[in-house]
Amino acid sequence: MTGEQAVLLPVGADMYAVPVGWVREVVAAPPLTPLVTAPPLVLGLFNLRGQIVPLLDTAHLLGLNGSDPVAFAVVLQSPRGLVGLAATAFPQRATLGVSTGPSELPGTAGTYRVQRQIVVLLDPDALLASERLGAASSREDTTPSGVA
Amino acid sequence: MAALGVHEIRALFAQEAEVRLTHLDQLLLELEQTGDEETLVRSVFRELHTLKGSSAVAGLTDVSRLAHELEEIVEDLRAGRQTVTPEVIDTLLAGADRLGTVIASALGDDVTADVLDTDSATAAEAPVAVGVVAAPRDVVPAHNGLTARAPDPSSSDAHGVVMVPMERLDEMVRLIGESASAHLRVGRMLKDSFGLDAASNAEFNELSRSLNGLQDRAMRARMVPLATVTDKLQRAVRDLSRAQGKQVRWEVRGGDTELDRGVLTQLSDSLLHLVRNAVDHGIKPAAERTAAGKPAEGNVRLHAMQLGSEVIIAITDDGDGIDLARVREQAARQGVGTQDMSDEDALQLVFHSGLSTSTFVTDVSGRGVGLDVVRTNVEAARGRVEVRSRPGAGTEFRIIVPITLAVLRCLLVESAGQRFALPFHRVVLSQGFDQSSQTRAEGRAMVWVDDQAVPVSSMADAVGLGSTQPSRGPIVVLTDAVRRHAFQVDQLVGQRDVVLKALNRLLPPLPAVAGASVEPDGSILVVLDPPGLIQRARQAQRGDPLAVAAPSGGTPQRSILVVDDALTVRELQRNILERAGFGVRVATDGADALSKLAEEPSDLILTDIEMPNMDGFALTEAVRAHPSLANIPVLILSSRSSEADRRRGLDAGADGYIIKSGFDEGSLLTAVRRLIGGRT
Repeated sequence: MTGEQAVLLPVGADMYAVPVGWVREVVAAPPLTPLVTAPPLVLGLFNLRGQIVPLLDTAHLLGLNGSDPVAFAVVLQSPRGLVGLAATAFPQRATLGVSTGPSELPGTAGTYRVQRQIVVLLDPDALLASERLGAASSREDTTPSGVA
Repeated sequence: MAALGVHEIRALFAQEAEVRLTHLDQLLLELEQTGDEETLVRSVFRELHTLKGSSAVAGLTDVSRLAHELEEIVEDLRAGRQTVTPEVIDTLLAGADRLGTVIASALGDDVTADVLDTDSATAAEAPVAVGVVAAPRDVVPAHNGLTARAPDPSSSDAHGVVMVPMERLDEMVRLIGESASAHLRVGRMLKDSFGLDAASNAEFNELSRSLNGLQDRAMRARMVPLATVTDKLQRAVRDLSRAQGKQVRWEVRGGDTELDRGVLTQLSDSLLHLVRNAVDHGIKPAAERTAAGKPAEGNVRLHAMQLGSEVIIAITDDGDGIDLARVREQAARQGVGTQDMSDEDALQLVFHSGLSTSTFVTDVSGRGVGLDVVRTNVEAARGRVEVRSRPGAGTEFRIIVPITLAVLRCLLVESAGQRFALPFHRVVLSQGFDQSSQTRAEGRAMVWVDDQAVPVSSMADAVGLGSTQPSRGPIVVLTDAVRRHAFQVDQLVGQRDVVLKALNRLLPPLPAVAGASVEPDGSILVVLDPPGLIQRARQAQRGDPLAVAAPSGGTPQRSILVVDDALTVRELQRNILERAGFGVRVATDGADALSKLAEEPSDLILTDIEMPNMDGFALTEAVRAHPSLANIPVLILSSRSSEADRRRGLDAGADGYIIKSGFDEGSLLTAVRRLIGGRT
């Protein structure tokens, strides 16, 4: 894994990293529309050039507290559509250094050294799994015609 | 409509058909050797019968028709009307070969076949191209690529008609929509970044105009005239009136009224049902009519017209009208008080599931569709259905649907500082706040609306935006299939045609949210789904914090055992039921079902009749005879439509009987929910 290209995702005092292949782009504090009735980890919806993208609270998704204001959204291209992860400072690109051991939080895949900092690598597949988001596994695409 | 797309269904069918056809060949050859061997004849019959059912589900009407013809021949063998001769085997083998050819060409040419998909019942009759007249029922249509008959080149050239798969049109409409919104964004960017007013730029306006024109034309390409389904309706009126010895005149006005093909497809079964209903229940025999001073010949009329962005289709008969006293009496038996209802309100109760049908899930027309299903189907097309009736003078059903499903007409409201869109077809009315109309009952706030007390909630509370101080904001009354619920908002903002987008599928299901839409200024508008919203509001009022915290609903999942030997049917049913939130297990025949039930009981059994090892009747009897399983409801879903079979199913202890030909997602779910409940 060492030498892997990643986008660093600052969340409060901690630093996380997303494999660069997952990242579509980074957006500065997009205006959010609250999505009523959604679980609290959904911070809201934003408009990415006509596409409606949900922004998720990264700390909450990892099971941590902390609600620092969202400064940037890292937009991931997931198999089920675009999704934004909240970052509290500018997400930089970096090369992961030596592995410094395993990680404990769900949805993560080990810790790495980047200069003088410990970075926790995220595993987006596991992090965005339906169970973590509270989605039913049988949920299918809600086409407009599905509106009762 | 099913999430299992037509491609997946056909892929499943292709797998199944290959195995069955090989088996069928073997059985036929074996049968020729052994002569009249009863179990062999039964096996041949079962293979054909299953192929018929599965192909109908996959929308391959020609395959289904051919399988049916062969099945009839085998039925003669089975009943002893015909003996097994080499000639019969010849016919059957040749038939099996033809089945193989027809299936291969249908599946190999899926794009062509797609034009005919989405609704197996109307597949052959509803070509997408405007101007192609529906083929009469007994003539095999030449345009579907399933038959060897060559298309007549002169007829298509004369009209210059091109058949286009629906999905290509959908894609085109979607892309045009995206271009239009990109265009608006460019306009904003010019203003924000360069201070240019795009609206004063001729080139920019020219592009706006052509995009609008393009959007309009693309929408229109999806429209078909109502006349594409009226032939089928006329035929139904003729057949039924002859069968019942009645004289009925059929009249169509406004057959050239156009609407979105998707909308029309969703409505076609409901129209058929209403028309049959009019002949069956509305019109009395000539002698009775004459005695009542009416013309001997009854009249059933379909009148369609466009009004703004909606189409109204009225089906009127000059029969006896609906017996209101009986409706009230039935309602009372269901515990619905009707004393305070006006006649007009009481009449709408015929769409209530408990009232429109009897204890058994069946109906006289043998299509497994009640008026509640008509309403469900119309609502799925974002429309509404109304009924008017005058004793002795006749009944009129009115279906009001939007011309197209591409845009959703919405009422925009503001609550707790956020804007929401409410789909118009779910809005009963909106009115100003009036202190004197407030009241309470059973610990809930109520409001008087048209002399009816309706529960009222604050919209902000209902969507979880925190309690607000009592306000004097207006009231919007929404409705789901059954109930009305009023919501107090801060203000009404206006009406808007909204292009609805589904939310990212990573998100958990949010029953109160239908989707979202991007506004011209780039902001996002959340579109609420009134049935889910009403459900939430009612749970909140009942002081049920758990239910509100878990929007997906805290009720345990109900489990259903699907029993069918046909893979295609099994998977289709599993797909429909799972999407409706049920837990589904499958079994391939009666014996398999019993062993699955021994492992773990289910809340409902949904079974076919024709199956190897143990058929559906035997399964039902076995379940009823078993002490710990006896109370599980059994629903039979079969292509056998005779009264004798239905009787036998109900005698065996089944709680309902649905006929496969009338089978669709709506009627299946209605029948299931009627037996074991589930979200509305």
